[in-house]
Amino acid sequence: MTVATDPRERDIFLFSNTTDELGGVTAWMHQMARLFRTHGHRVHTLGVHPAELKLTLPEPLGYPMTALHPAHPTAPRRLTGPRRLRPAERRREAAHAADKQRAVDALSALFRAARPGGVVIVTQVWPMEWVRAADTTGLTVIGMSHESYAYTRACHRYRWIKQNYPHVDHWLTLTQEDADDWIADGMHNVGFMPNALAHLPEVPSPRTAKVVASIGRLHDQKGIDMLLDAWALVAPERPDWTLRIYGAGVEEADLRAQCTGLGLDGSVRWLGRTDDVPGALAGASVFVQSSRGEGFPLALMEAMASGVPCAAFDCAPGVREIVRDGEDGLLAPPGDSGALADRLLRLTGNPRLRDAMGVRARKNVQRFSEGEILRAWEELFGLLEL
Amino acid sequence: MNTPEFSVVVTLGDDPDAMTATAESALGQSLRSVEVVLVGDRTDADVRRTATLLTARHPDRVRVIDAPQEVRGAAALRNLGLDAAHGRHVLLLDSGERLHAHALRNLLQAARRTDADLVAGRWTRLAGPGGKQQGPPWQDALHARTRTVTDLAKAPELVARDALVSGFCLRRDAMDRHALRHAEDLARSEVHFGVRAALAARRITLVPNLIVTHRAPVDHGTDLHALLEASGRIGLQLARRDLTELRDARERAFVSDQLLPLARGFLRLPRGERAELAAQAHARLTAHIAPERWADLPPAERMCVTLLAAGEPDGVQAAAYALARPGTVVSPLVERDGRVDWSAAHPSDVSELGHQHRPFEALRLFNRLTRCTAEAGRLDLAGEIVLPLDKLPAATDVTVRLELRLRGGKKVFRLPVDEAVHHGERLGWRLRVDPALLPVRGMSERIWDTRIVLTAGGESALAEVFAEREVVGKGSRFPARPRLFGRFSADTWLPYATAGHHLALELQACRRPARTIRRLTTYVTHFRPTRKARQLRGTLRQKRDRLHSGSVKVRVYNRLLVKLPVRRRSVVFEAHMGKAYGDSPRAIHEELRARGLKVRSTWSHAASPTGFPDDARLVRRWSWRYLWALARAEFWVDNQGFPHALDKPAHTTYLQTWHGSAYKRMGFDETRVRMQNTPQRAKLQRAVDRFDHFLVRSEHDVRTLARAYRLPEKKLLPLGYPRNDRLVAARERDETEGRFPRPELAARLGIPDHQKTVLYAPTFRGTPKDGRAHQLRLDVRKFTERLGDGHVLLVRAHYMERAELPVCAPGTLLDVSGHHDVSELLCLADVLVTDYSSIMFDYALLDRPIVLFAPDLDAYAAERGSYFDLRERAPGPVVETEDELLRTLADLKRADTGHAERRRAFAAEFGAHDRGDSARAVVDALFARPARRNRT
Repeated sequence: MTVATDPRERDIFLFSNTTDELGGVTAWMHQMARLFRTHGHRVHTLGVHPAELKLTLPEPLGYPMTALHPAHPTAPRRLTGPRRLRPAERRREAAHAADKQRAVDALSALFRAARPGGVVIVTQVWPMEWVRAADTTGLTVIGMSHESYAYTRACHRYRWIKQNYPHVDHWLTLTQEDADDWIADGMHNVGFMPNALAHLPEVPSPRTAKVVASIGRLHDQKGIDMLLDAWALVAPERPDWTLRIYGAGVEEADLRAQCTGLGLDGSVRWLGRTDDVPGALAGASVFVQSSRGEGFPLALMEAMASGVPCAAFDCAPGVREIVRDGEDGLLAPPGDSGALADRLLRLTGNPRLRDAMGVRARKNVQRFSEGEILRAWEELFGLLEL
Repeated sequence: MNTPEFSVVVTLGDDPDAMTATAESALGQSLRSVEVVLVGDRTDADVRRTATLLTARHPDRVRVIDAPQEVRGAAALRNLGLDAAHGRHVLLLDSGERLHAHALRNLLQAARRTDADLVAGRWTRLAGPGGKQQGPPWQDALHARTRTVTDLAKAPELVARDALVSGFCLRRDAMDRHALRHAEDLARSEVHFGVRAALAARRITLVPNLIVTHRAPVDHGTDLHALLEASGRIGLQLARRDLTELRDARERAFVSDQLLPLARGFLRLPRGERAELAAQAHARLTAHIAPERWADLPPAERMCVTLLAAGEPDGVQAAAYALARPGTVVSPLVERDGRVDWSAAHPSDVSELGHQHRPFEALRLFNRLTRCTAEAGRLDLAGEIVLPLDKLPAATDVTVRLELRLRGGKKVFRLPVDEAVHHGERLGWRLRVDPALLPVRGMSERIWDTRIVLTAGGESALAEVFAEREVVGKGSRFPARPRLFGRFSADTWLPYATAGHHLALELQACRRPARTIRRLTTYVTHFRPTRKARQLRGTLRQKRDRLHSGSVKVRVYNRLLVKLPVRRRSVVFEAHMGKAYGDSPRAIHEELRARGLKVRSTWSHAASPTGFPDDARLVRRWSWRYLWALARAEFWVDNQGFPHALDKPAHTTYLQTWHGSAYKRMGFDETRVRMQNTPQRAKLQRAVDRFDHFLVRSEHDVRTLARAYRLPEKKLLPLGYPRNDRLVAARERDETEGRFPRPELAARLGIPDHQKTVLYAPTFRGTPKDGRAHQLRLDVRKFTERLGDGHVLLVRAHYMERAELPVCAPGTLLDVSGHHDVSELLCLADVLVTDYSSIMFDYALLDRPIVLFAPDLDAYAAERGSYFDLRERAPGPVVETEDELLRTLADLKRADTGHAERRRAFAAEFGAHDRGDSARAVVDALFARPARRNRT
């Protein structure tokens, strides 16, 4: 245990579905990998397989990145019924099983090379299948779930979590509220860890432009349709304001049609996907989020870091955790476009309120700064060693 | 040695295995920095040896503290352990209790994160034999979320209930600073210690985690004295700190958590113990707890405690019986000034039980068995029945019989009692059961339940025989004389007390021939081939059930049945998902019949077909015949939606009559639906796309419902609701002929002309998860007491719910929830009371007063969303409290004068197309034309 007492030199494995997918969890994994590495830990990022649609990662990475399979693996299944008798099927399943075993062996070898006191952080529930099969002697295994309890409850991952996570040393949700929900569901090895705010812009938004911004994929989950309904109530009252919608996605055509149908073409700008989020926020005075489901939304944190007050649907514990309703932003009951419109009217109609909330938002959101979150992780590592 | 994070102090009991389990649960924690301190008083050698073994196995983690001779009692032992603890936090366990595997890590994490002196989680205890565990019910509210409290009023259960008897840890320095130790003069010191710790702690963190399991089951009554003493001391401490509210709450909790379970236990306690407990309670209870603490309990509960305090063991037992069997009369009630008292000796008002309103045939009477002995081959039974309020008609007309009823069967034997003596408020009965009068078949007719039936004038009251174990005893077997062949399988009757404390007779095989036969039959019915056959039958039944499951039906329907050819002129009707024969589908059905149009009507019904028309084919919803009818129908007519999973065949025309105009947001306007994900919303959209015609009553419907369900204009039929034709006709009749005579329904329900009919029809509130009845927002009893003289209240629960109504004076309250057609009730009602139900839009057509009783208007409108402001456009006065409602109804004329104009405007606006000929117009539009070929 002498090695592990120096908190700066831990072997940390971060393990996600893919090594480099374009998506929130993978981005989070590389953010944390960078952070852990700059604080002296030895980091190794892992994925079940490499992704097709890739995240842009810095070159050189500075830490190893390994994919266990060359492509999305097929899970070996137990054959039932007459299929048991077909040699071809049996051969195929045996090959899948051997494939998996090879990956597990490779993983065990990596784990064995780590010094005692190392930590395996499994960011999603799927890779836990490999970790459970591998040899983790001397390591602490930490599972994670990057979505709200309600969202998991409604899909197949609920069963996976109930199957895989009772056996890990500890696992983490995004907020205390989600953790409480899981505890009430009978899981007692669960805690929580918020996401870290990656970047605090030097200068906050001046909040002078009469612009409301929305940033997110144009996907049903982000509820842009409800945002347009809400904006239809706001636009007539605030003729000089513009709604800027950043993002692209499969629903774009439908949403644009809806926008035209509501007669909002004059006040809505469709700006497509942006890589310069701080720039987009610098040109806005109010941020709006109308999602149907969220985990711990980075977009809200970024808006607050830029000093832009938010109006959002209170759709998940993560949202309530980030935005303190009435203090540094305004929340509306989920799905209630009328209420969201009301919040937007309040923020757009009152510059003093906007400024006060924007200043408080920028200050408050720093409780999720990288330093704070890193400290929380170190505390957790310490606790799990006791 | 490093300071451990936790010291777990375990007091050793007398069971070495239990102690080991406890210690190992602490040593096997996911948190390893734990020391275990075992404290014992050297009385039990086995335990001592096991403890030494544990120390040997974990020398640096387990210590044994031996108490000196003079230290006695659990409190002193615990204090010794606390003194010896080294850890930063301490937690106490009794032998046998176990820590949940992650308990200490969760406590430590919460303590570190929140800097709390005390962290508490849930605990469970064994609930009787079988290993099932349970926590107290109030724990759920206390530990719903992780939270930190500094003010005890925010988490009153911590001191008001016995929350802190287990499952919490204390920071040791805080404990030592406040010199927190157990009071060694108290037998139940842990109750007192937890409360003291809560009072001393600066910050308390509550976590939802389970911490301690396997606590010993509660045995109410063993130490009432000790509990009262501990509670009394806590009360003093709370009062000293000016926390009198918490003290009162604690006393109330003591009544419900300790005294009521104690009283319930009286049903099974033997006489001696009952008497002793009652005497104990009588001597001490009122000294510690003021009688006001139980004064506001419901009547049966209140009487349990009152009689306990009065020291009456039999009275408590009777009251406990009333708790276990609600609706049973257990005491000779006494009438006083229009109210009803429990008994002459205990004049406590129990009118709320409603016994005074029960007619003779609805009476359930307490019937205590006083004698049960076997004599000369017969069973001698005697008992006493409580007779309340002179309910019994003259004694001469009453026949008293003992009924023996085969459990799980239909067979009944009725034996007249030999003797029935009426003395005062009790009826004594006596009977010798002659086995010759019980010609049972034997073998398959094993258990017979008993009850006494009192018959007078063709009506019967029932009195189940309450039997205590000690009265029934063991030695009252008597020979049985089954019919011819039965004698080979049974020869003896054994009376016994059931788990529900009633007398039953069991037919047994005691002598050799019968025992042999039984053994043989048991062998034949249980040997391997029959077991296998049974298994096979089970598997086959499962397979058959799977073939009839919903998912198979949907697949077969959508793939095969929809392709069946159309049956011309066939219509499938459904109203409210088959729960009623009513609404617009009924009106259309009747119009079709009246015009003699040749159509083949099929009605779908949910559970029971009673009340559905004889002149139509009836099919149960979701049955194969239902699916067949739907697949072949030319028309579907319903008011809510045929099952969403079923596709509409290409040849079918779907008329959606809908079930009411909208006040609350519906369909895609509803928040719940808007937050659903795409597949869920697409499913609703597909279901709605099946509609070919949608009836609307006004422009309001077009703006709201049609938009909410995204219905194109060409599907809308602005013909009004056929169900409302009856209302328009009724209004015309009112205007020309007046309100009387009332519709024939009034006579059927027994409503006299001089009584005003008030219909209370609240809206749907969502199905409760536990399947229990909804609590009505209107206190029905209060209503009938205040207005019962001149009013009769008809209660109609929503068709998806059911209401549980109290017993009220006859002729003041009627439950009409089961009535099929609401519009008949509307025609009958003189005034409507509702909250947000669409019924108001229909009733307004009658131009009779409407009162909107909406105690939660703002909350409801905010949560559910609404299409207009009810206060602004309401067709009648909007009242928010019950008193206001009763005042309004008492003086309705005055209250309503200002509203007549608004109501007419309301009716005109929301029912613009309801002109009284809607059914005719709909039939003209759809059915009168010659049948056409495929429409889509």
